[in-house]
Amino acid sequence: MRISDLLYETWSALMANKGRTMLTILGIVIGISAVIAMTSLIDGVKNSLVSQLGLDQSRVVYIYYWNGSETRAEDLTTIQEGVEGYEFITGMQSGYGKASTDVKQADTSVMGVSKGFFSALGMKLTDGRMLTDAELNSDAMVVVIDSSLARSLFGEDVSPVGEQIEIGNDRYSVIGVVEASSMFASQGTVYMPWQTCSIRVTGSTSFDQIVGYALEGEDMESLVQRTESFIRQRFNIAEEDDTEGQGYVYVQSIASIQEELNTTLLSFQMLMTAVAGISLLVGGIGIMNMMLTNVTERIREIGLRKALGAHRSDITAQFLMESVAICLVGGIIGFLLGVAAAWVLAAASAGALGGMVSVNGESAAVTPYVSGTTVLTAIGICAGIGVLFGFWPAYRAAKLDPVESLRHQ
Amino acid sequence: MSRVLDVVNLHRIYETKAGLTHALRGVSLVVERGEFLCIMGPSGSGKSTLMNVLGCLDRPTSGTYRLEGLDVATLSDDDLAEIRSSRIGFVFQSFNLLTRATVLRNVMLPLVYSSTCPKSERLERAVRALVAVNIPEELFDHRSNELSGGQMQRVAIARALVNDPALILADEPTGNLDSATSERVLSLFRKLADAGKTVVLITHDPEVAMYADRTIYIRDGKSLTAEEEQAHVAALQARGQYAN
Repeated sequence: MRISDLLYETWSALMANKGRTMLTILGIVIGISAVIAMTSLIDGVKNSLVSQLGLDQSRVVYIYYWNGSETRAEDLTTIQEGVEGYEFITGMQSGYGKASTDVKQADTSVMGVSKGFFSALGMKLTDGRMLTDAELNSDAMVVVIDSSLARSLFGEDVSPVGEQIEIGNDRYSVIGVVEASSMFASQGTVYMPWQTCSIRVTGSTSFDQIVGYALEGEDMESLVQRTESFIRQRFNIAEEDDTEGQGYVYVQSIASIQEELNTTLLSFQMLMTAVAGISLLVGGIGIMNMMLTNVTERIREIGLRKALGAHRSDITAQFLMESVAICLVGGIIGFLLGVAAAWVLAAASAGALGGMVSVNGESAAVTPYVSGTTVLTAIGICAGIGVLFGFWPAYRAAKLDPVESLRHQ
Repeated sequence: MSRVLDVVNLHRIYETKAGLTHALRGVSLVVERGEFLCIMGPSGSGKSTLMNVLGCLDRPTSGTYRLEGLDVATLSDDDLAEIRSSRIGFVFQSFNLLTRATVLRNVMLPLVYSSTCPKSERLERAVRALVAVNIPEELFDHRSNELSGGQMQRVAIARALVNDPALILADEPTGNLDSATSERVLSLFRKLADAGKTVVLITHDPEVAMYADRTIYIRDGKSLTAEEEQAHVAALQARGQYAN
C-alpha cells in the first residue's frame, strides 16, 4: 500500500464521521494546549528570573569570608594571585543613606565598588556613562545610580545625568544610570568609587563583599572549591569555625545558584506538566475509545479489504494512521492554542499583579517562552499518543478473521 | 483447457464452543478456464465454507487445493492476501461496497493492495471494468449508496474484474436482488464466462444454475454429482421430507 493511498484512506475515513473526529481532536487539543501553556509559562518565568536576577552572569563567584579582621585591598590581590582561574577579583562595601535633590528625597543603599564590578555583574547602562577605572581608583565625587532611584528622584522623563544629588552632607554628580539589578543590590542604589564610599559614607576601610570573575571556560565547581580551601588556609579559618561563630567562608558561583533555581523550577514544572498531562491522557483514551468503536463499526469493511488482498500490515497501518493523524492535527491546533493561552495568562497575571512585582519599575510581565525542546517534545507526545492509543485498536482490526468479518452484521 | 481450480479430498473441521464441526468432508472438484460452475446446496451444507477455502480466506484442514497449479493450502496469511489480490475476484451477496467512496474508488480498491498495478494504470483499468459491466459513465463519481441494488452488484462485479483475476468467486450474488435484476446480473456472469473468465457461483437457488455450464451439489459437506443429488432428493421425497 502506497503512502498516498494510506493518506487518502485516512482522510476519507476521518471525514466520513466528522463529528466524532472533531470531538476526538478536541480532546487532544485541550491536553496539548494545557501542557504547552504550562511549559512555556514556566520557561518564561525561568527566563525572566534569570535575567532579572542577573543569573546569566555565569562566570561570577561570590566570596564571603570573615576571620575577625578587616578585608583589605591586599587581600583581594592575595586571593587573585593564590587561586588560578580568575580574570579579576573586585570588592565592594555597602552603606545606607538618604539621597536627595533640591526637591525630592529617597532612602538608598550606597555601594562603594572597585574596578571590574560593573562588567562582572553585567550591569546594563541605560543613560550617561559608567564610572571609569580612573574614577574607581580615586575618591571622585561621581556616582552611577540605578533606574529605580533615578525615577524616584528625577521622575520618568528627566535624565539625571549631569544633575547633582546629596547624600549625607556631600554633593555628587550623577554620570550614569544602570538598570536596577535585584539579585545583588536592592532597588534604589547609588554606586560610587570604593574610596569615596569608604571616606564619605561608611567610614570603614573593609570590603563587605568580594566578587570574582572567572576566566572563560573555567570549571566553576572546582574554582569554588579551590577558592574556599585557599581562603581557609590563607586566612586560617577552619571548617569548625563556621559553626562555632569564630569566622566563616562562603563561596558560591552564580552558575550554582542558577542550577538550584533550575532544580526548583524543574520540580514545579514537572508537577504542573503532570497535571496538564492528565488531560492529555484523557484525550488519548478518547482516541482509543473512538478507534475501538471505529474498528467495531467497520468490521465488514476490514473483512472486505482483506478479501481484496489487504495484508495485516495494511490494516494496522490504516487504523494507526487514523489515530496518529488525529493526534497530529490536535497537536498542532493545541500547540497554537497553548502558546496563545500562555500569552493571555501572562498578560492577565501581569495586569492583576500590577506594580506589586515590579522589578525595574515596570510591571514584571512574564514572556512565555517556547523552546525547540518544547516543540519537539510536543510533536513526540502527539505521535506517541497516536501510536500508543491507536495501536491496540489497529492490532485488533488487523487480527480479525476475514471470514468472520465478512459475515459480521 | 487448463485447470484453474483443482481440489482433491478437501476437509475442513472447525473448533467451536460446542465442539468440533466437520464442515467439509472430502470435497473434490475441478474447474477449467472459462468455465461457469454453479455450486448448489441448502444452508448448512458447507457451501460457504467451501467458498471461503476456494477464495483463500480460509485454509483446509486437509486435502489439496491448487489454484492455477499453485498449492495454496499451506501458504501464510500474507501470501494468501497476495493470492486474493492477484488471482481472485469476490462478489458478495450484500455487495460490500464502501458507502463513503465513489463508484470509481470502490472499483479501484483492489488495486490499492496490488503490488503489480502501477498507479497510473488504475483509473484506466477501473473504467474498463465499469464499462464491461455496463455502468454508465455519469455514475462513476456517484457515491455507491446512491445506486440501485442491481447497479451496486454490477459495480461489485467490476471491482472483482479490475485485477483481471483467474477466478471470479460469487457468493449468492443475486440473494438481495429482485428477479428481473437477478436475471441481468446472471446474464452478465454468463457473458463474462463466454469471454473467457472463470466463474464459480455459490447459491441455493436452482434457477441460478440454468445460467451455468455445470452444477455440482453440496450436501453434508460432500460434493455430489447431478445424478447423486437427484437420487438423494428422490429418497427424501419418498420419505416426504423434501421441501425446497
